[in-house]
Amino acid sequence: MMPTTPEQSATIDSPSRRRPVSGFVRSLFSMSKDKSEARVGLIMLCFCALFLTLSGRVLYLAMGSEEPVGLRRATADATSAARPDIIDRNGEVLATDVRSVSVFAEPRKILDKDEAVELLTAVLPDLNAKDLRDRFERRRGFVWVKREITPRQQAEVHRLGIPGVGFVPENKRVYPNGTAAAHVLGFANIDNIGIAGIEKYIDQKGLIDPTGAGLNASTRDLAPVQLSIDLRVQHALRDELTIGMARFKAKAAAGSIIDVNTGEVVATVSLPDFDPSNQADALDPNRINRINVGVFEMGSTFKALTVAMALDSGRFNVNSTFDARSALRYGRHTINDFHAKNRIMTVPEVFIYSSNIGTARMALQLGVEHHRNFLRRAGQLDRLRTELPESAEPIVPGRWGELNTMTIAFGHGLAVAPLQAAMATAALMNGGNLIPPTFIKRSEEQAKAVATRLVKPETSEAMRYVMRLNAERGSAGKAAVPGFYVGGKTGTAEKVVNGRYSKTRLFTTFMAVAPSDKPRYLFMTIYDEPQGLPETQGFATSGWNASPTTGRIIERVAPLLGISPRFEAPDRPFPLMARVGAWGTR
Amino acid sequence: MIKFFHVVAIGGLIASATYAYTIKYETLYHGEQLAKLKQRSQKEREAIAVLKAEWQHLNRPDRLQMLSERHLALQPLAATQLVRFSDIPARAPKVDDIGRKLEALGLGDDLPTASIGRPALSATTAQPVRTAPQTTPQPPRPPQRPQ
Repeated sequence: MMPTTPEQSATIDSPSRRRPVSGFVRSLFSMSKDKSEARVGLIMLCFCALFLTLSGRVLYLAMGSEEPVGLRRATADATSAARPDIIDRNGEVLATDVRSVSVFAEPRKILDKDEAVELLTAVLPDLNAKDLRDRFERRRGFVWVKREITPRQQAEVHRLGIPGVGFVPENKRVYPNGTAAAHVLGFANIDNIGIAGIEKYIDQKGLIDPTGAGLNASTRDLAPVQLSIDLRVQHALRDELTIGMARFKAKAAAGSIIDVNTGEVVATVSLPDFDPSNQADALDPNRINRINVGVFEMGSTFKALTVAMALDSGRFNVNSTFDARSALRYGRHTINDFHAKNRIMTVPEVFIYSSNIGTARMALQLGVEHHRNFLRRAGQLDRLRTELPESAEPIVPGRWGELNTMTIAFGHGLAVAPLQAAMATAALMNGGNLIPPTFIKRSEEQAKAVATRLVKPETSEAMRYVMRLNAERGSAGKAAVPGFYVGGKTGTAEKVVNGRYSKTRLFTTFMAVAPSDKPRYLFMTIYDEPQGLPETQGFATSGWNASPTTGRIIERVAPLLGISPRFEAPDRPFPLMARVGAWGTR
Repeated sequence: MIKFFHVVAIGGLIASATYAYTIKYETLYHGEQLAKLKQRSQKEREAIAVLKAEWQHLNRPDRLQMLSERHLALQPLAATQLVRFSDIPARAPKVDDIGRKLEALGLGDDLPTASIGRPALSATTAQPVRTAPQTTPQPPRPPQRPQ
C-alpha cells in the first residue's frame, strides 16, 4: 500500500517536480529486487547518522566539565566561601580558615519529619524543635539543620541514619590571636563574608573564592593578605594601654604606631576592643575604633601643624617672635595660655610652652584662607580613606571666620580622626612628605609613589627640633626615655558637654617621634576622660598620662622595631637650627 | 582462505575487546586511586590548617606573656641591656694559661708532651715549641699512652 502523505498532495499542483520525488518514494517501498540497493543505502545512511549522533553525545559528555547538579549546586550556593589567610608583617597568622562540618537536610526526601526532628534535637540539644519542624515543612530541596558542628556531633548524627540528612564541609574563619588587632581585622560572618575591617576590604577586592569550601576549592590557591601590623608590637601597645587605662581610670584609650617613611600602621589599638570570634561585642558603640572612626578635637598636638605652616609660609622663621604678654581678645572671646609666661616668645618657645596665644597669632597673621588651604593640603578637612571600610568625616566649621582660625590653630574647633592627625604629624617629621596611612605592607618606594609634599625639608627639620626640645625642656619630658632621642608634643582638649567646653572632662593626646634626628616611627597615644591621681598631683592633662604611657610604649617597642639605643647625644642632629642659632641651641 | 580470515578477524575482535576492557578497568582503578589520594591530601591540608591555627593560638603574645609572668623570673628588656656591635670590645689575644703555668713551674721546653703536638721536623730544629700553641689554637691531641 502506498501511503498518501500531505507532501504528496501538496506537490500535485506542480507536475514538473512531482515525477522524480514520487518516483523515488515509490521505489523505496516497492518490493522489487532491483530496488533493494537503494533501500540498503538509505538504511546505512540512517544508521550512520544515528551512530554519529551517539558518538557525538558520548564525546560531549566525556569532555564537558562536571557541572554541579541538583544538591551539589544547592550546597555550593549555601556553603561559605574560602577566604585568604591574613598574616602580619612577619608572617604570623592573624586569621585563617579551618574545616568544619555542617548538617543539612533535604525535606522532600525525609520520610517521617516528626521523627527526624525528634532524633536531631536529641543529638543537637541547642536546636529549636519547632523552628526545625517549620524549616522541614518548606518545599525546598535544601535547608540547613545546624552550621559548624563538632566531629563528635557529626558521628552521632551519622549514626541516626535519617534519610535525607547529610553533611557538607565548610570553611570556618578563626582568629587565633583573640583581641589582637581586632579593629583592623574586622570579622567575617558564618557564611565567611567579610563584615568589617580588612575582612570586608578582602571581599571588596574580590580576593575570596566564592565557590566555597569542601567541594574542591581550598585556601591553598589564595595568596595570603599581608598587613603592615606587627603582632608583637600590637600586643605590647595593647598591654601598655590596658595598664594605663586602668591606672588613669579613663573611659577609653587608643594608640597607633606609624612608620613615618612608609605610612604603614605598625600597630593600632582602641580600647575597649572586642574578640572577632565574638561578633556581638563589635556592635557595641563604645567599642568603635577611635583611631579612624571617631573624630576628636586633637588639642595642642595640632599646634605642630600651625607652627609648621607658619615656618613653611616664608613669612616667619624659627627666630620670629610673638607677643604673648597678655591674653588675646577677639570680640567677646579671650584666649589664654595654660602655662602662661606673659612675655614675647620665639617660635620654639611658643611650641614648648604650648602657647595658645602664640599659635593663634601665627594663624591669624597668615589669614583664614592660608590656614584653611594648608589644613586641606594636610588632609585634615576631608574624610581619610584607608583600606578599612570604616571612616569618619571631620567636623569642619560651616562658617570659618577669624575666630575659628584662632581656635583651630591650637586644636579646638576642628574635629578630625586621630589617624588623620597622625598622618599630618608624620609628614612634618619625615622631611615633609604627606603619605596616606595604610594597613597593608608597603615598601618605601611604593610610599614615595603616593606621597605628596606638604612642607619643605627645612621646615621638617625645624619641627623635629622643636619636638625634641619639648621632650628635653617642655611638657613631653615624661616620654623622653633615654637612648631613643624621643621628641614629642602633648595635647589636652576639653570635651564639649552640652555645647560648652568642660574643665573636667578631658581628651588627652600625645604624639612622639623616635629618633628625632632620623625619624622612623610616630607614636600616638590617646586617653578619653583620664582622671587625676594623687601621684600626678591631681592633674589629668596629657603630660601626666598620655606622655608617660607613650614613654613606656617606646621603651618596650623600640627594640622590637629595630631602633638601636644610643646613650651619647647624636653629633649635630639639627645642623640648620644650630646655624641659624634657634632658641635653645645655645 | 576465507575461513582463515574469519578466524583472524574473530581473534582480532576478541583481543581488541579484551584490551579495551583491560584499559577501561585500569582507568577506573587509577581514577579511584587518584580520587583517594586527592581526598587524603585535602584532609592533610585541612589538618595542617588546624594545627597552624592552633599553634598561633597557643603562641599568641598575650598568652606567652601570661605564662612567662607566672612561671619565669624574667623581666622586660631594658634599653641599657642592648649593645651595638661596634661597642663590643675586640677579642683579646688567646693566652695559653696552662703553658704559662708549666713555664712558671720551670717545666718549659724540655717537657716530653710539648713535642707531641708538633711534627718531628720542628721538634728537631730548635724552634721555640711553646709559642706555637699560644698564637694558633690547634686542637689538642690526646696524649699518647706510654707503652
